[in-house]
Amino acid sequence: MTKPRILLLSFLILYLLIIAKLFHLQILNSASTDTTYLKTNRIPPERGKIYDRNSQPLAVNKPSFLLYAEPKKIPSVDEFVSKIDSVLQLGVASLSAKIDKTKDWVAIKGGLDKEQKQKLLDLGLKAIGFEDGYQRYYPESSLSAHLLGFVGKDFQGEDVGYFGVEGYYNRDLAGLPGIIKSDRDILGRPILIGTQQKLDPENGRDLYLTIDKSVQEMAKRKLQAGIESYQAKEGCVLITNPETLEILALTCLPDFDVDRYYLFSEEFFKNPAISNLYEPGSTFKPFIMASALEEKRVHPDDFYDETGPVRIGEYTIKTWNNKYEGKISMTRILEKSSNVGIVHVANRLGGKNIYSYLRKFGFADLSGIDLQGEAPGYLRDESAWYPIDYATVSFGQGIALTPIKMMRAFASLINGGKLLKPYVVQRINSLAGSKTIQPKIERRTISAKTSEIIKKMLLSAVENGEVRWAKPKGYEIAGKTGTAQIPIQGHYDPTKTVASFIGFAPVSRPKFLALVILREPQSSPWGSETAGPLFFDIAKELLVYYNIAPE
Amino acid sequence: MKTLTKYLILLIFLALIAGNIFVFVYSLNLSDDINHFEKGIEKLHQENLNLENKIYEVDSLQYAASIAAQLDFIKKAEPSYLENLKYAKNQ
Repeated sequence: MTKPRILLLSFLILYLLIIAKLFHLQILNSASTDTTYLKTNRIPPERGKIYDRNSQPLAVNKPSFLLYAEPKKIPSVDEFVSKIDSVLQLGVASLSAKIDKTKDWVAIKGGLDKEQKQKLLDLGLKAIGFEDGYQRYYPESSLSAHLLGFVGKDFQGEDVGYFGVEGYYNRDLAGLPGIIKSDRDILGRPILIGTQQKLDPENGRDLYLTIDKSVQEMAKRKLQAGIESYQAKEGCVLITNPETLEILALTCLPDFDVDRYYLFSEEFFKNPAISNLYEPGSTFKPFIMASALEEKRVHPDDFYDETGPVRIGEYTIKTWNNKYEGKISMTRILEKSSNVGIVHVANRLGGKNIYSYLRKFGFADLSGIDLQGEAPGYLRDESAWYPIDYATVSFGQGIALTPIKMMRAFASLINGGKLLKPYVVQRINSLAGSKTIQPKIERRTISAKTSEIIKKMLLSAVENGEVRWAKPKGYEIAGKTGTAQIPIQGHYDPTKTVASFIGFAPVSRPKFLALVILREPQSSPWGSETAGPLFFDIAKELLVYYNIAPE
Repeated sequence: MKTLTKYLILLIFLALIAGNIFVFVYSLNLSDDINHFEKGIEKLHQENLNLENKIYEVDSLQYAASIAAQLDFIKKAEPSYLENLKYAKNQ
């Protein structure tokens, strides 16, 4: 055999070997070749962070790891499962159920921290791996549980925000995942002459809230103490700047643990401040008074002769203590919270006007707050209103609204008549830039003059009301109490009430407006004896915090 | 002349093989480096997040409250002369 022939034969054998190997790789074992060389990995984006108005973190991210197994590489499932269980304590049965020998890859547990990962690595198991990811971390724990909401999973296992800010701004916070396509050798190193494509993830946008962490903490602490002291079933405190309607604090109890939200049922996730309807009781009287003043149906110096109960059809309306003072001024009607007095004002205003002002104050529509889960507005059609409805609505019974709508409408009473849209996010930051959210005036409800009159009337309601509260000396604080019976199966139960107080300070140029609601307080059913003192307790702290000088 | 060409081709062939081996080994090293740096960056990012979270934790109101409770700096320990200045003046 000549030399060239030997060479040719050698080449031929080599070619045949290469063809045989390619046939094995591409035809017989095609699935494994794809995954062995070209790796496509999803790069998770980092979820946007949430800060308070002073850039203090409320929700940030921490690294977390997803433990996965490659069942085909597990030599002994029993031994594998018992070792994993010694670290994770998931239960041998549930772990065994996850190890499906027909699959190449199975997820075992997500949300592992660094220590857990290290313990698992120390086991020296070959068939496990980890995928990097992020998990929410709340430095202030559940300080703002209802406000923030939580991050759970959707049906595809992706992170999704539910309720509150996490739910409303999910698309902004979530970001976009990146992709890396890379040819890797058997040791996982990139093959430079192969495919190398990388699309960086776009991290979520950071949100800066209008909430002040210190005010929020104080409000929650006071509310907790108030609920315990007045033995209430639940309660809410909302604090806002009435000039802009930016929410400074919003807390309702009971709430839930944001880190272990899965231990709570859905009813705990709903934010009562925006999702639950309540009858406002006497805190509604200023709206009727302001509307009547605006329409010039009554004047501030008018008098009403309060002689006794008022009959409307088959119904009798009395004052809360069934005592009547004779001639009383319009201001006195609010001071003593006279039901018969405000029914007189409502009669002067007229049904059509009452209905029109209810719509004007926004009780028929959504407040538009940027939180997920707001209950829709509901106001019966005008044709379904009877004379008794106009009378009861004047003292806040027979109408149901959410606390946030109450705040929105009440703010317009004291800010010169501007009906604003409440908001909790003031700035959205992303790589592209920063977007600042400005207060939005939706319409005007009353004139600036009427607003000034009603502010003075509300100041007098605090100064000369039926109850003397522990009010800080030298400060002018205005407000109104409310006690509404709770409707149960078509009737009002006099033993169950919603006690509330809405107030603001300083009267001349309000810095804050606060609403305190206590549901079913046991120590006293009256708002003046429960929600009122709690409001003044909170107001004292706010006066110091905002450095408000006595007037 | 013919022999010279033969040697020259052999030399070029050897040089190309050597160059090829060098590029291959160099790319392997580069791959190793990329892998190493990728892991390093990820580790640094995670450590950075962990440290950031630790700072947030010690800066939180919850932590301040727990430390205050440990140190007994609570309402019962609050000096009364902050409310009533006459006590402060007597001291």
